[in-house]
Amino acid sequence: MLAQQYAGIKRDLDEKGIIFSFSGYLSEGILYSLGEALREKMTLEETDGPTVRRVFAVFVEQMQNIIRYSAEKMTGAREKPVELSAGMVTIGMEGGKVFIVCGNTVYNADVPRLRDRLEYLKGLDKDAIKTYYREQLRETPEEGARGANIGLIEIARRASEPIEYDFLEMDEGKSFFCLKARI
Amino acid sequence: MESLKLPATGRTPEVDFDFAQGVLRLSGESYPDDVATFFGPIFAALRAFLAEAGGHPIRFDMELLYFNSSSAKALMNIFQMLETAAGNGRSISVTWCYEENDDSMQELGEDFAEDLRHVSFTLKQIPADGAP
Repeated sequence: MLAQQYAGIKRDLDEKGIIFSFSGYLSEGILYSLGEALREKMTLEETDGPTVRRVFAVFVEQMQNIIRYSAEKMTGAREKPVELSAGMVTIGMEGGKVFIVCGNTVYNADVPRLRDRLEYLKGLDKDAIKTYYREQLRETPEEGARGANIGLIEIARRASEPIEYDFLEMDEGKSFFCLKARI
Repeated sequence: MESLKLPATGRTPEVDFDFAQGVLRLSGESYPDDVATFFGPIFAALRAFLAEAGGHPIRFDMELLYFNSSSAKALMNIFQMLETAAGNGRSISVTWCYEENDDSMQELGEDFAEDLRHVSFTLKQIPADGAP
């Protein structure tokens, strides 16, 4: 029964082409360890350096988005401050391309603004993304933003196809948010 | 002014600012878990150095292989500081190194260079996985 259940989960992942997945509380420490494993695996497969870096760059921005903006968090300070944010990250192959999908809960109140930004980015071509990145690089960050606010642009820029995203409302307070990038 | 030297870590670049010689270098990868904590002392040292009257011409070698978007913002701050100092008459040249075939890194260099008027900026291709 136990093996059957987990074999089922594994089969689901395999069928979606997922070679790497993590679900649970993420932290900067986990980002580092998973990132190293990801790079080692790609390097062993003799993926060229720039591609490894592109995949890694998208992975880092996706993970940091979860760590910063997940609506399910535990924070605390023992020896040093710790921030654990719930979410999931999956990396797989599809039609010869690497894809990264991240998922995490967000507050419903934040959905419209996030959706607007993503929809805008999705509609830009390569040159427009580059111009947008250059503009935002020179802007001071928005109020309440902990990152550089160019993480999503960076993801769109390194992706080889337009980004895909979706929201699923879970209750009156939160929605599940997914973002997929193909590299 | 005393040099600023920080060894590379898994997530932060090597910092080698030889202020006496006017030769500054950042090399490696940058995706610190806390950008403000890592770049804060670098900004402070650079600001103090640039505020010194006269001084050597400055050479800044950027030999970064990868940096995340938060680090990009920090690098932009550094470029803006350099541009202001160069506008005030300091001679500053920046060399941006990127590995051959790494178009992303080359483009990022161009992103930073776009509005430099006083800093002399050079893109330099280096062999992949080789020391520059």
